[in-house]
Amino acid sequence: MRSMGTPIEIGTVAPSFVLHGDARRPLSSSEARGRPWVLAFARRWTPGVDDGAIRAQLRGLGAILFIVSDTGVWSFRPDDDIELSAGPSPRLRKELAELDARWGVAAGEDGVFVIDGEAIIRFAHAPGGELTSTLGIALEAAGRELLGLPPRPGITRRDWAVMSLVAGFGLVFLHGCRERGPERPAAPPARTATDAGAEVDVVLRINGQDRRLRIDARVSLLDALREHLSLTGARKGCDHGQCGACTVLRDGRAVNACLTLAIAAEGAEITTIEGLAKGDQLHPVQAAFISHDAFQCGYCTSGQILNAVALLREGRAKTDDEVRQQMSGNICRCGAYPNIIAAIQTARKEV
Amino acid sequence: MKPFTYVRPADARAASAAAGASGASFLAGGTTLIDLMRLEVMTPSAVVDLGRLPLATVERHGDGLRIGAMARNADVATHATVVERYPLLAQALLAGASPQVRNMATVGGNLLQRTRCPYFRDLAVPCNKRAPGTGCSALEGYTRSHAILGTSAACIATHPSDMCVALAALDAVVHTRNGGRERAIPFGDFHTLPGEQPEVENVLEQGELVTHVELPASPFAAHAHYVKVRDRAAFAFALASAAVGLDVADGRIRAARIALGGVATRPWRALEAEQVLVGQPPSRAIFERAAAAAIVDPKPRRDNAFKVGLAKRTIVRALELAWGKS
Repeated sequence: MRSMGTPIEIGTVAPSFVLHGDARRPLSSSEARGRPWVLAFARRWTPGVDDGAIRAQLRGLGAILFIVSDTGVWSFRPDDDIELSAGPSPRLRKELAELDARWGVAAGEDGVFVIDGEAIIRFAHAPGGELTSTLGIALEAAGRELLGLPPRPGITRRDWAVMSLVAGFGLVFLHGCRERGPERPAAPPARTATDAGAEVDVVLRINGQDRRLRIDARVSLLDALREHLSLTGARKGCDHGQCGACTVLRDGRAVNACLTLAIAAEGAEITTIEGLAKGDQLHPVQAAFISHDAFQCGYCTSGQILNAVALLREGRAKTDDEVRQQMSGNICRCGAYPNIIAAIQTARKEV
Repeated sequence: MKPFTYVRPADARAASAAAGASGASFLAGGTTLIDLMRLEVMTPSAVVDLGRLPLATVERHGDGLRIGAMARNADVATHATVVERYPLLAQALLAGASPQVRNMATVGGNLLQRTRCPYFRDLAVPCNKRAPGTGCSALEGYTRSHAILGTSAACIATHPSDMCVALAALDAVVHTRNGGRERAIPFGDFHTLPGEQPEVENVLEQGELVTHVELPASPFAAHAHYVKVRDRAAFAFALASAAVGLDVADGRIRAARIALGGVATRPWRALEAEQVLVGQPPSRAIFERAAAAAIVDPKPRRDNAFKVGLAKRTIVRALELAWGKS
């Protein structure tokens, strides 16, 4: 084992780690067991929008990802749920300080390391001196370096696998960091008083696009979507926050669009059911609702799906009972609940 | 919904200035306000959106915790320090509303949550809280959800919050600012009894902004529990709830906290019941004596007399779960 504070060198054996934190089960680099692994120091990272894409990359390469963030240490296994392996605690803080030192990453800085199946460090990016504000910037530089490498004769398949892991993972992670950014959700701009009953210009960011509206301040986000932007996927059920048919994602979290003033949603990233599929490819939760027949009349379905997407991203509800509790804000008058639970539990494996 | 002017100020001073005029209302998560504005139960002339103010942080402060007024219920409920040191608060928050509402609702807004009394929400009938002096429709109405403690001849509406029950038990302090003036209001002094003026629900002045809630260090983390009894297992208001904490040393209760929800016109701290427990070894018998002492001079109506017994049993159940041995 190398001494503390020594910079990491490519081609040497990776230092192993065991983190206890407050978890019942410690998190250890030995979990990799002959598989490649990535150790990412991404302090501002939180589980979110790109979890599915990250896992898909890892699955393709049979690799494990450990993320060291301010919220704790997270592990991604290709075939498993994302897991908060060690939450914040005094013990974890001490262990992380040692980890930082051992891997030569300054406290609070980002960095990424790729270790192959023989525990040899293949790639290291731990910026020193000049601060790199996000892991994305670091990975972009890393990707450029890698992709710019001339092909070498005699390079092994494993080397290529590890390199493509870095490049693919890097691009995905970079995208995620850019989308969310360290400051998201951003504070909306200040606004001086509108005249009562007057229409004002409001810019909403819906499904990745800025949409300009001229509306009365009384207009709800739900009515703005349905009546002004022709996005009728969000439904009006009770209009009182009790049925969940109007559920949309605000900065990745499920909210009731009927209880949100559109003007108060300025600066937020809104996702509706219309923004969930990628082209013709349905979101895994949408596909699972179809394959499980998780609706009858369909009126509540877009709200059910968006809350389910948020539930799976947050990763807290696992058992059927926990899912029921977390879906309790979405009413289905047709009573499709058993199939809705089944669809969510199936989609869990895909996202 | 009645027309209103909308403003999103850049800082707390501007927010208080904008909300200083009579008829103005702060907007936080909107889960109560927008709903009641749509019903025209609340008709503010100005809505002052607090969405830009940096008041959402949860941070340790000395031995205690400071929770920003704009911190979302969902974030507070899952905050590592809250879960570890104030499990009562985490449990109470998660017992309330739906995931969507918890993602929107804030700590400051939850303090000011309005009652769910159906007569308050129905413009067609008299209500002293909504329209002072018109009378109380609940007194001779259907009273299953109404209060048995802290009622008056003018109003018997329950305070609906779960979070506030935990905050009452945890000796929270509400911090406010109004221009240059700051106040620290002990939780027990924050909400007022309906008395003759049920339209007044707390001691805040017009334009006074809740900035954060402070929790002192708590010796109750090891033995604390929130029990909520309701008509369905999720997304329903309490018929009765109890937030309790026990500090047990050498086999005896050194200190106890008991607060009630769903049965009173404001978050209800049961100080007499706490005193019954102090110095005693924990047991079912002493828990029952404490529960009896918690319900002093109840005023049940036709449909809510069951709450007298239910509240006591809820306290006993919460104490047993908090102690962990029954």
